[in-house]
Amino acid sequence: MLKPEEAQRPYTVTELANEIRRELRPLTALLVKGEVSGMKRGAAGHYNFSIQDGYSRLDAVLFADDSRRVTTLPEDGQVFIFRGRVDFFAKTGKLSFIVDQVEFDDIGKLRARLEELKRRLEMEGAFDPKRKRRLPFLPQTIALLTSPTGAVINDLQETIWDRYPNMGIVVYPVQVQGAGAPMSIARALRRCNQEGAADVIVLARGGGSFEEMYAFNTELVARAILDSKLPVVTALGHTSDRTVADLVGDAECRTPTEAGARVVPKKADLLTSLRERRRRLDREVERRFSQEGDRLASLRMRVVRLLTTVVQRPADRLARAKADLAKLSPVHQIERRELALREQQRRLHAAVTLKIQASRSRLAATGGVERIERAIANRLAESVRKLESQRQRLVALSPESVLTRGYSITRDAVSGAILRSAAETAVEQRVTIQLGSGRLAGRIEEVSP
Amino acid sequence: MSEELTYEQALDKLEETLKRMESDKLSLDDAVKAAEDAQRYFRICVQRLEEARKKIEVRPEPTE
Repeated sequence: MLKPEEAQRPYTVTELANEIRRELRPLTALLVKGEVSGMKRGAAGHYNFSIQDGYSRLDAVLFADDSRRVTTLPEDGQVFIFRGRVDFFAKTGKLSFIVDQVEFDDIGKLRARLEELKRRLEMEGAFDPKRKRRLPFLPQTIALLTSPTGAVINDLQETIWDRYPNMGIVVYPVQVQGAGAPMSIARALRRCNQEGAADVIVLARGGGSFEEMYAFNTELVARAILDSKLPVVTALGHTSDRTVADLVGDAECRTPTEAGARVVPKKADLLTSLRERRRRLDREVERRFSQEGDRLASLRMRVVRLLTTVVQRPADRLARAKADLAKLSPVHQIERRELALREQQRRLHAAVTLKIQASRSRLAATGGVERIERAIANRLAESVRKLESQRQRLVALSPESVLTRGYSITRDAVSGAILRSAAETAVEQRVTIQLGSGRLAGRIEEVSP
Repeated sequence: MSEELTYEQALDKLEETLKRMESDKLSLDDAVKAAEDAQRYFRICVQRLEEARKKIEVRPEPTE
């Protein structure tokens, strides 16, 4: 039986359910720690599981939207700290904890697992510098794997285009944090390699806490980087530790600016170095041609000089010989003598004429014509006599005249040299002897020096 | 063949050719040929610098 004060209108179930929900409203933004069990993924992408602590148990749900934002997905048997609110589902009559964030409870354990992963990768040689792919010197297109929103992608794009204004960029938007991040990153890495739209991959994020960086420490992402044929550059921001992605990547940077500079050369620098080489090329060509020109010019000079000497020397000799010849020529000598003779004749004539005139005038004055004539006749006779005596001396001096007087000239029969001393001769030497008339040939029989 | 050189390869060849030309060990004929090669490598370098086309393309994850 219901008592009167209790005989008010009963709640409908829905009213009570709403009342319960209202009452539960303060239980929001709560943190609860517990172990996961019965993890299931529903058709709509929601996750259902239980949180328990050994005495009590709560149903929990992680909606699809939230599941993409959480640091990590809950795993059976693991203890996490869940953030969320309590709600009552009228339809099923169940009370659930609506999870909107999942945090690792035991970071130490997580780190231990990470160390174990690093050790395994190290053993495989995954961190070996020899394994790392070389970055292209000048890529054509760069793939950016990062969050499509935020500062990182802007910084990357700005740095790249600042350094290289016509560089191509392909953005593969990925989740860089949350439970879906490892899969999203791994998938994008595979697509980059399959599509081949870029030459190099930059995997970027703006830093964060150990938990926020969780995806870059997963084996899934590490394997995807190792499997990539394209070189992968990490730029994960400032973090407390290097992530596994940094260790297996081909080049490790921190900031987007650093990554941009690592991946893209400065176009202006390249142009400057090209211009410098262009100048060297021009200078080299110019130098070589001018050098060859100089060589040709100097060769030409040598040829000209040689030709001059070759032609000039005989010409000079010819001219000298001609002059010598002319001097020696009898014709010339006769001419010269003739000329001298004529000159003397002229002077004689002039002198005689002068003298005659003078005599004539003196004669006219003194009247001694006969004296003059006599004097002239005397002088003529004197001259004739002098001439005759000179002629006779000349005749007397000529060898022939000496020979006529009984002398003889003895010569060596072979050399024709005149023998002046008996000492110059030897017995049996053949000699010729020239007499005043005719010559003799003989042989020395005795020498008395 | 040489048209397929990357920027870096063409630059290396250009530098090597220049060094040979500067060494003065080439005959005039070889020097002329080297100068022609150098010009070609230079052109490839310039071409490679301009080949990339400024564009930004976003390839979102295909939805499952």
